Parts: sequence; structure tokens; C-alpha cells
Amino acid sequence: MHHQGIGDFHYYVGINSLAQIATRNDRVCVLNILGGESSEVTPVGHAWSGGNVVFGTSPGRRGQRLETPEGAIPVYNSVREGLDAGHRFNCGVVYLPPSAARDGVAELIRVNPELEKIFIITEKISVHDAREIRAMAQQAGIDVFGANCLGVADAWSQVRIGGALGGDSPGDTLKRGSIAILSNSGGFTTTIAQYLRMAGWGTTTLVSSGKDVYIHYAAPEFAFALANDARSKAAVLYCEPGGYYEREADFNKPVVACVVGRWKAKLTRAVGHAGAMAGGNDDALAKERWFMEKFGVDGLFTPDNPVFSAKGAVVTNIAHIPAALTAVMRANATLPDFEPEGSMDLKPWFGSNMGVTLPAALDLPVVEAIAPYHTQIAALARQVGTVFPRQNLKDASGASQMDPKSHVSSLHGVSMLQAAQQPLEANLALALVHEAGGDNDRALLNVAVAAFVNLHGSPVLAAAQAAREAGNAPNAVLAAAASLLGPRLSDGAREAAALMIDVFSAAGLAAAHDEDFALSRAPIDDAARERLLQAEPDPRAEALLAAVALRGARSVPLRWLLALGGHPRADAVLAALTTTVAWGPLQRKRISRTTIESLPAWMRLIGTLLGASADAARHRPDSFCGLPNDEVLGVRSLTELAALALLGRAPAADDLFAFQTLTGLLLTNGPGAISAQGAKGAVSADGPETPARVQLNKAMVGFLSHTGYAHGGNGFEGVAFLLERFAGQALTDPGDAGHGLDLDTMARDFAREYGAQKAASKESGGPGYNIPCINHPVFKDKPENIDPREAFVRQRFEARGEYNVFHDYYRRLVQALFDEGVTRNVFCVNVDALIATLLLKLMWQPLAAGQISRAELETAAFTAFLYGRMIGCAAEIDDHLNRGRNMDTRTPQAQVRFVA
Amino acid sequence: MQITGMLYGSQLLDFVDFPRAEVLGPDADEEAIKAMIERHGSVFVKPVFKGGVGKKGKAGLLGRARDLKSALTEKERLYFVEHRHGNQVAKANGVTFEGAVPAEHEVYFSLSVSTEFRAPTLTLTHCGGMDIEEVDEKHIARVPFDALTGMKAFVVANALIDIGAPSEIISPLVQQLPKLWELYHNFGMTVLELNPIRMRPDRRGRLTPVACDFKCGFDRDDSRWHRLNLPPHLFAADYSDFEQEINQLRTHQGQSDVYVINDKGTILAPTFGGGANSLVTEMLGDDAIISSDFGGNPPYEKMKSVAAICFDHWLAQSNVLFVIGGKSNNTDIFETFRAMADALREHFSRHGPTPLFVVIGRGGPNLVRGMAVFRDTCEALGLPYRFFGFDSAMSEVVDYAREVNEWMKAGGREQIATRLGLEAPAKAA
Repeated sequence: MHHQGIGDFHYYVGINSLAQIATRNDRVCVLNILGGESSEVTPVGHAWSGGNVVFGTSPGRRGQRLETPEGAIPVYNSVREGLDAGHRFNCGVVYLPPSAARDGVAELIRVNPELEKIFIITEKISVHDAREIRAMAQQAGIDVFGANCLGVADAWSQVRIGGALGGDSPGDTLKRGSIAILSNSGGFTTTIAQYLRMAGWGTTTLVSSGKDVYIHYAAPEFAFALANDARSKAAVLYCEPGGYYEREADFNKPVVACVVGRWKAKLTRAVGHAGAMAGGNDDALAKERWFMEKFGVDGLFTPDNPVFSAKGAVVTNIAHIPAALTAVMRANATLPDFEPEGSMDLKPWFGSNMGVTLPAALDLPVVEAIAPYHTQIAALARQVGTVFPRQNLKDASGASQMDPKSHVSSLHGVSMLQAAQQPLEANLALALVHEAGGDNDRALLNVAVAAFVNLHGSPVLAAAQAAREAGNAPNAVLAAAASLLGPRLSDGAREAAALMIDVFSAAGLAAAHDEDFALSRAPIDDAARERLLQAEPDPRAEALLAAVALRGARSVPLRWLLALGGHPRADAVLAALTTTVAWGPLQRKRISRTTIESLPAWMRLIGTLLGASADAARHRPDSFCGLPNDEVLGVRSLTELAALALLGRAPAADDLFAFQTLTGLLLTNGPGAISAQGAKGAVSADGPETPARVQLNKAMVGFLSHTGYAHGGNGFEGVAFLLERFAGQALTDPGDAGHGLDLDTMARDFAREYGAQKAASKESGGPGYNIPCINHPVFKDKPENIDPREAFVRQRFEARGEYNVFHDYYRRLVQALFDEGVTRNVFCVNVDALIATLLLKLMWQPLAAGQISRAELETAAFTAFLYGRMIGCAAEIDDHLNRGRNMDTRTPQAQVRFVA
Repeated sequence: MQITGMLYGSQLLDFVDFPRAEVLGPDADEEAIKAMIERHGSVFVKPVFKGGVGKKGKAGLLGRARDLKSALTEKERLYFVEHRHGNQVAKANGVTFEGAVPAEHEVYFSLSVSTEFRAPTLTLTHCGGMDIEEVDEKHIARVPFDALTGMKAFVVANALIDIGAPSEIISPLVQQLPKLWELYHNFGMTVLELNPIRMRPDRRGRLTPVACDFKCGFDRDDSRWHRLNLPPHLFAADYSDFEQEINQLRTHQGQSDVYVINDKGTILAPTFGGGANSLVTEMLGDDAIISSDFGGNPPYEKMKSVAAICFDHWLAQSNVLFVIGGKSNNTDIFETFRAMADALREHFSRHGPTPLFVVIGRGGPNLVRGMAVFRDTCEALGLPYRFFGFDSAMSEVVDYAREVNEWMKAGGREQIATRLGLEAPAKAA
């Protein structure tokens, strides 16, 4: 049962001529207009078609608008609302998900009596729904295109409806001509139009038919409408296996049929949309045969063996379509529509042999791409560094991640276990330039950071000290310092870095420590020179230069700066150091220009926070924590300075190793950690889409304010536990395996005591307590459990021949707890224990000697956490700055709740 | 996704109360088989295949037994029998015992989609029991009907009258066959075939249609078949680990169809869109490892997962990583290339470098940015490459990739391995 249409079909067909498929008079309503795909392609089609979309629907989003170059398209909850608002349309486009497509078609048909055509883009509509869609449309006398298609386009009227034929710039491909296209493949509809254009053939109407089991607008009715379209002199069909559509088509104009899918004959099960398999009567070979019979030819057309008639030709390779069409049309005394626009020969746009010798036939030279792509490629050559695409970064990060299986976090692909083996300055490089760098880079970083640690006489130090004396935890102390480090302080160095990037990119600098680089390749004008130099020597600059010289570090930008003559500004020297460190990663497109320009500010922030963590009394005009300034700047590493600030004494080699392990492990715990969330939220709130407005120091305050006694300070729980266990023990050196303590007895006694307490509290229903640093939600349930992170670090210490009595105690304790029947299996000693035991070992002697108090120990534990995490959060902040969107960390209203 | 045979077919028919032959499964004990023979006079012994396997009768894979001994002999013969039909080779795992149904009339029935009428179509003949292709056309009714009204009794009645079916079978079929539309329509089937339906007389001579064989195909895009609670192993036919991993990524947006063409191949060509896939698979022949259609416009995460799975399984043996497509409409080339390049970089950092030549041919939105990302990745990883725009014919690009593959086999791979600092270059399969 169907509505009576035109022609002699078993079913309703309303389209009489291809010219009626997409016209300038068509008015369109798009269902699910704000969906991901529609919101990208509808604006392009709307603009190219002179504004043919009257409104769209998206339930619950009435009042929103889809912006397009031709003005905004209004959105309503439903079709009825749009009609009530006075809109009229004759074409419906369906972008709904598969389960909703049928209902969308029903809505269009039932609600709008003026409807004539429906275009269904949705893929994976069930056959069940497809047949109901067809039945509804047949009853109502509606033409349906698709489903699973990319819509239609008309190169004459410059209209496209539904889908995306012609891509993001339809005019580039769809040039007015004489050839109609019907294609099972949406992608190839455009590709074929492109190929035709290169050979001098333009197009009329292009129909992407889709290739579901039900093809609602297919070859028979296309052939009928082709016959009645005066504009179209011939057609190209692109056909895949499955269905008898083409067999039924009766063409009276020349046709080139491209039939593909012979390879499916090799398959042993159905692959592809329609599930068509070889062996059926509608496979590729059958389709080739149908067309050959129609055209009166006995073979396939190939350039070597051009078989064709005036009626048409069959090809199996889309690249042969233009040649076949030209041959067929010549037999009809018809020349191409215009001069060929290019050849289809191989033209590499990009290429490199990477030092390998290729045979001549393969060693194709790179050629200039066609317009407008050649200008894009030229612009690319000028682009420095990478540009990350922006996306919503709520709970997501491009810097850190945690492996859900091993619970080991990583930063820029380096696991915390590896990071724990690197000094702090290497991890700082990793965080900010995504590579740990070599010795030269580290030397330069050490100078750049050390320049800011001595805060003697600065308001920053006063603020930090005031915060400390007011009873704040170390995070709030550092936040007070960070708050004073506004962007203006780093503007000079940022500008200098930008200038150096421009100069050295233009000069083609490959390696920033290249001693042979000819400085004459990097000229600058007087105005730029002015910005880098000053009339009088700058003592800060002089100190930096002396330190670099002392460390024997190399830097092309620094050498260049000095060769300019005059006295470099300190900002310029700093920028030269950071630009050198970042140059390799920048060239390798690992980092963006934004990142390299921010580096001087990061040096200031990290150095200052490190300095501010030490009491004001330890900052002197000529020394920091007892080290002379020139030694701070010219000799010591960042790791040493941080350990010095934390421990209050010059660290020994073992101390340094322990300290670096501790801070390395603490770098990150992935973007879900509260500290990272604080940092990311601060960036998000400033609006990373305008990077210059993001205050890096404020983002660090965001991180610091999102740490606290529970997050960061909790490392002390393990310390406190150990202090109680070792209270009254005569322990002098925790690193001496011959300590003389009976750890097994200590562990057993405590296990019994704990077991008894636990039983008692269970009995009384009172609160029990858990022993810190043992057991883990993932590493459990085996007879003997190991936290692989703990095991890894323990083995490294063992390999160095280092001993830690506290760690040893913990290992004996988990065994004793099991032996005494307190735990059901041997719990693991978890990664937190590393932090507690390393820290306590570092601080034991001053504590035992009464040089520091328990409260100071707690502060130290918290500060050690901040040292590690501040570097990890710097990575998080820089990442969010580069990739995030404005306000992307907020939670949608629908996901928040009110509690009473 | 097909079911053949009565083992599960009987369960499906019971859903709509359609009469069927009595069936015992592979684990039936001897008592039950014997009792069945006693009830029905004889039993048919049929091998059980997973998925769709046709023409079993013609291949001699149908046993008939009138006593227990020969029933068990047939069971032994058919239990693990191999069957080749076209390209498909299937191995049986079990047999069914089906009670014989004495009848004068055998009916062929099927419901399917006709692309000629573009409607659900009933195919019916009273000359059933043989292949439908062998029946005289004048005895076959092919009747399209309205999907919204469904296959109603009058559709069946008119069809039987049109082909001159014996009058005694019309009424029982008109009563029973419309039930099958419910099964077909409500459980996501694309095809349903019962052949034969045998018309069993009762004591008064009144006929009942009894389904004696069953075949159906399900629509992968229709979740209605989940309502049947069929065991998942029925459809887990012959997917490789790789294919199964990829299939898990199948979502409504974008296909994830893959097929391993040659697990010894040396060109890894993940392709997007059916068109590109057909072209590439056809031209690469056995050089291709996989044939794939990952659909248009896959989002970054999906694309990266797909690429990572492909690399995990195949990169070590690949000479050429070949990314090819036409001039895309709405596939964001930057997003897809960035995802693939990131997956490649991560693969190298996890598993170390492997000698590879990268060939790309593509067009579409953000093309240059996408190619730039891939270029940077190739340069960072030390891999030679050539990228072609859409103004190079796809088939020419495919040929180029094949020639590179030949060169790689003839010493190029070792050259690249040396450049990558690999001491003993991993040999391509």
C-alpha cells in the first residue's frame, strides 16, 4: 500500500528530475541539530546553500541557537513548536541516534503536512526500523534519502541538504557541470566529484544513497530522474555488493558504473553494512555483469584495456572513472565541461627518507600542494612548536595519568618509578618541556631556579614569614609567597623569550647547545636589541652569567646575547637559559610556544617557593641556608637546594638519593588528585583560551590551597606511627643495619597488642584504627601481598647497599600481623610507607638530638610532599593552559545535588 | 549472526507457539532417543553447526535412523563432521535428534527483505522440502506486504490461492504462519526460513503445519534479539582475538568492522569508510594484513584505541603503515591523524622502534594540520614517509605503498632498522 507517485514503480517516488532533489526553494528542519556531527556540518551546508535551514530540534534545548556564517539557526524542543513559531519547511534531516531515527521520521511525517523529502544521516538503524520508516513514508508520499548516507548536494543551485558532501568547503569540490553521481559511499561521493573535476567534468546533483539493507532512494528512481534532468548528460554510479537495486535501473543516458567489492569473495563471513556476501546473486561480480549487459560491453574498462560503449563503461577502481567517462562521452560526441584542472599523478605533499636510500622510483620529491593547501603548508613551516587542540579537560589531563592496573602514575609518559630515579631538576624539565633533558639542560635549569631562592629583604619572604608565624601549614605559607609573584614580574623575560624564538626559528637553529652555530645567522634590529640590553651592568645578570660559566654550560642564545655587545638584562639572560633548555622539545613539536614563553615565570615560581619554604632567618644577604650565594647559583643542584631547605643541613649522598626518590614518587597522582584539581580549576577559571590572561602564580595558589593536612600532610601519619613504635628505643643511625634492635619482637608485641585492641573495639562497637601505610585496595587477596611500587624502590635501595630500619620494621610488621592471626593474609607494605620511612630516616638524627620538634617534623613531611607535587602541578597547569577550555572544570548543573 | 537447525530454532518457535518437530540435543541419553524413535517411527540425526550453514542435506550430512543402534552410529559419524559450502568451512559440534513427521505436503516458508519491492516479503510454496531455487517459479509466491500492518492472515491466504496450493493446507497455514511475523519482527531478524514445514494430519485428517528445519539471521544493529536470551557463544563464531578487541569498540557512531585478510601480510592499512576499504583491500590483495572499515569521523579516543590495537597485533610484522582514504566530508583529519600518530608514538615508547615506512593518502577537513602531526611523529621516530593529498589518485597511492613494501622486503627493512639503531632487525613475516 503506497501513495501514488510518478513513474511506473512498485512503490511511491515523488522526484521527477534530479533537479528537484536539492533546490534553492527547499526549506529544511534538522532533527538533533545540536548533536556532535550536525553542529559541525550543518553550519557549513547552511551557509553554502544561502541559509536553507529554518530551524532545528533538540528536546529540552528550546531557545538555544546554532551559530552559522549565515546567521544563527533557532532550536526548538520539537517540530511542532517550530511550526507553531511560524516556520515552514518541506525537507527533514535526521541526525538522531539509531534508536530514535524512526520516531523522528514519524514526527516529521505526522506533524508537518507540507513535508516532501526526508534525509536520514543516522547509521546503524535496525532493519526493523528501516522497514517501518519506509512504510510510513510510502503511505504519506514522502521521498526518503539514506539512511546511513551523507545527504545530497546540487552543484548548479549550490545547495546541500543533510550531511556533508563537499566537506568543509563544498565549493572546492562541487563545480557546476554535466555529471550526476549516485554513490553507496558517502566519502567517495565527494572523492569522485573531485576526481571528475580534475579531468574537466563538473557535476549536477550528487546523491549519497547509503548502503543499508533498505536504500530508500536507489538506482531505479535515480535513473528515472536522470532521464528527466536536462542538465545531466551522464551519471557515475558507485556500487557495493548487496541488493538488486542496480539491476532494476533503466538508464537512457550514458553511465560509468564503478563496482567494487570483489575481494569480499574471499571472506568467510559477512563484513560491511548490508552484510552482503559473495556467492549470493547480488555480489560484486553479479553487479558488474548487470551493468555490462546494460552497456553492451564484454569487459571492464581499464586505461590499458579501455572497454566501453556509448551507453557506458564498468570500472572497479574509482581512479579510472574520469578516463572511462571521457571515453564514453567522446563516443557520444561530448567534450568535458571545462579544461582539466590537474592530473591524478602521485604528488607527495610531505616526505622524507630519514637518511635511508630509496630506489629512484620510490624517491618521489615533495611537490607544492594545490591551492589553498600550499599556503597552509607554508604557514606550517613558519609555525614554531606544536599547537594542541583544545578540549574539555575536566578530570582529564594531557600531562599525567594513573595506570588503573598498577596504580603507578606517570607524567608525560614517564612513570613515577622512573621519575624517582631522576634528580628534581630533571623532573622539572620533564614537567615543563616534556623531556628530562641532559646534563647541559640540567645545569642551565639549576642556575635559572637558584637565581630566585634567596629572598632576603623581599616582600615575598616577609609575606611567607608572616603566614608562617600566624600558624599556617606550609601550603598556606607558600601560597602567601606565590600570591606576590604576579605576571608582571615575568613580562620582561617572557618578551625576551618570544623574541629569541622568532630570531632562532628564522635562523633555523637546530640544537641550542651547538658550539658551531654561526651567530651571524641570527640578526636582530636595534629596537629588539634595546629590549635585551641596558646601559649599565645588571648585577643579577652578571651573577647568572658567572654561574653558567662556572658550571661550563653551553647555550647558543646566551652566546648570541653576549655577542650583541652591551650589558644584557637579567630577564634576557634568564630567557636565554630557558629557551636553550626548551629548544629541542620545541623543535620536536613536543611543546608549544606558549610553554616556552612561560618558562622564565616558572623558574621564578619554583625558585621562590623553594626559598619561601625555609624560615626567613635562613635567608641572608650573601647566603641561603648557610650556603654562599655564588655556590647556590654556580655549584648546587636544585635537588641539593631543596634538600637543604627541608633538612636544614647540607645533605649527604644517601640523603640526596632518599630525597630525590621521595619527591619523585610524589610528583603526581593523575588529574583526579585534589591538588591537580585545584591547579586545573584555577587555570580553567582564568580562561586558558586566552593564555596570556592565565596567572600561573594564582594557579599555583590553586594547587597549594588544594593540599592540606589530609592531602599532603597525611604522610605524617606513618611517621607518627613509627615514632610511637620506636619511642624509647636506643636508635642512633636508622641507616645502620647493625642497630641492635630486635625488630621481630617489636613487631610481634605490637601485632598482639593491636590484635587485642581490634578485638576489643569490635566487641564494644567502638571505633578501631587502621595501621597506616599497609594494605592496599588493589594489591590484596594473595597469601603474601606486594605493592609493586614499594618493591621496586626497596630493591633499588638494596642494590645501593642502603638500609632503612623503619622500612625493615614495616616489612616485619605485616608478617607478624599475619603470624599472630590479626590479618587474614600478609598485607602489603604500600607506597605511603616509602614516604614515611624515607622521611623519618632523613630527619631522625636532628629529631633524636632535639634539634627539631615533632611539629617541625610534621611540617617537613608536608613540605616534602609540596616539593614533589609542585612540579607535577606545574605540568598540570601548563597542560591545562595549552589544551583546556574556559571554565571547563565546572560540573554541569544536572550532576550536582542538594543535600538536606 | 545466524542460527540454523532445530536445537535453538525449536526454542524460538516455542516463543510464538508455532508447532515444530520434537528435538533432542547432543546430550540426549539413549533412553530418550529410543523413546523418540518409538513415538515417531524414525528420527533424523543432524549435525549442529554454529552460525549459518546451508545445504547440509545435499552434502549427505543428514542421517535417518529407525533404531537406536543406527541412531548412535549416525551420531558418531556426524558429531564432529566438517562441512564446506562456498568459502565457508564449518565444523560440527554435536548432533540433534529430530522426530520424523509423516506428511503428504511439504511447505517452504521464508520472510526476508526484498530490495526489489523494498518491503518485507513473504516467500511461500507448497512444493517445499527442496531448495527454493529448484522449484518452478509458478508455484512460488513472493508477496511484499506493509511493514506497519505486518504479515496478516489475508496475505498468506491470497498468496496460497495465487499459486494454487491444495485447499486442505490453506486454512491451517493461514492460522499458523502469521505467528512467524511476530517472531521475525519483534526479535530483530532479517531473514527467517522454515523448510520444510510438514503438514501433519491428526486422527481426523486435519492438518497441522510442523516446522522441521529452521534458519534465521539477526540484525547486528537491532538489540531486539537480546530478548531471546540466546547463549552468546552461538554468535562468537570465528573471530580472532584482534577482531574481538576491535569489535568491542563498535558503537553506533562509526563502524568497527575488521577482517584479517592475511595474518602473514606486511602492509597494515587501517582504513575509514567502506569505499576506501573496498578499494584498498581489493588492490593490496595478500599484502594486506587486515581489511577494515572504522567508519567515518571516529572520535579521537576511539581512533586511538583502534590504532593501538592494530599496532599491538600487527606493527612488528608490518613493512608499511598505510593510511588511506578519499577526500573526506566531515572526518576531521587532524583528530584522526593525531590519534593514530599518538598511538604510534606510544607504541614505540612501550615496545621500542620497529622498521616501518609510512604512506598516507588522504583529503578532508584540517588535512594539512593532520599531515603535519603525522610528519612530526615520523620525524621524531625516525621513520621515512610520503604523504599524498587527494589530488593523487588513490589507486596510484596504493600502488606506491605496494612498491614500498616490495623494496622493504628486498633489503629496505634492514636499512631502516640500521638507521633506527636496531642491531638485529626484526624480520617481517
